[in-house]
Amino acid sequence: MRSVWRNVDEEENSEEEEMTVKIRFFARFRELLGTDIITDVGVGMMFTSLITTIVKKKPEGYAAIFDEDGAFREFVILMKNGKRVEIADAAKTPVEDGDELAVFPPVAGG
Amino acid sequence: MIAIQTADVDIGALIIAAKKHGTGAVVIFDGVVRDDNITEMELEAYEDVATHDLEKIARDATEKFRLLHVDIIHRIGRLAVGENILIIIVAAGHRKEAYGGSRFIIEAIKAGVPIWKKELTKDGGRWVPGEHAHGREPS
Repeated sequence: MRSVWRNVDEEENSEEEEMTVKIRFFARFRELLGTDIITDVGVGMMFTSLITTIVKKKPEGYAAIFDEDGAFREFVILMKNGKRVEIADAAKTPVEDGDELAVFPPVAGG
Repeated sequence: MIAIQTADVDIGALIIAAKKHGTGAVVIFDGVVRDDNITEMELEAYEDVATHDLEKIARDATEKFRLLHVDIIHRIGRLAVGENILIIIVAAGHRKEAYGGSRFIIEAIKAGVPIWKKELTKDGGRWVPGEHAHGREPS
């Protein structure tokens, strides 16, 4: 929690600093939203708010990932740099320079 | 051999290579594109994460079932009816460990490795719904 607040402080002190992150969507989400989206974000951006910003430009994709209240649908899986991020934690998970965020539906391999 | 790839493999050659010293049983699982009135199947993976997951599953299975050899090859791309999707080859000293290890691996792959399938039909296509993770995707 402390690191989150530190990032917020940094944002106030370095307004011009920007970070580059990659967002990857897979399967049905990829078809609706594209993938390997490279974007610049300000310091202090959180996982949920970044995905919301990117996705809301495409209503069909937004509806696939978010519910009517703007929360991730419960089946959506989130990863940051290949590690699972729980939906409940995503709103307070900061995005850092060079991160790869992934958003995808339940898996169906095998 | 742990791999996610478009190319098929020579299962016979893999079986020969799996027979390490002490092997008493080799079990082969071959998941195949079933003819469910589809034209083809398209498979997609989050390759870096999926490969890492398959390597961990192989290590876990080797430890739990005292396996002597494990191959997992999951194919991606477009596959026709009858083509191999997933080949799992395990070798162990005895059949109980070989069957157990093979079953453990396929169930672990189904449960969490980021790979998806789309059934292509004459009328378009349909993503195969996942069975695990946070809950079922609405159909």
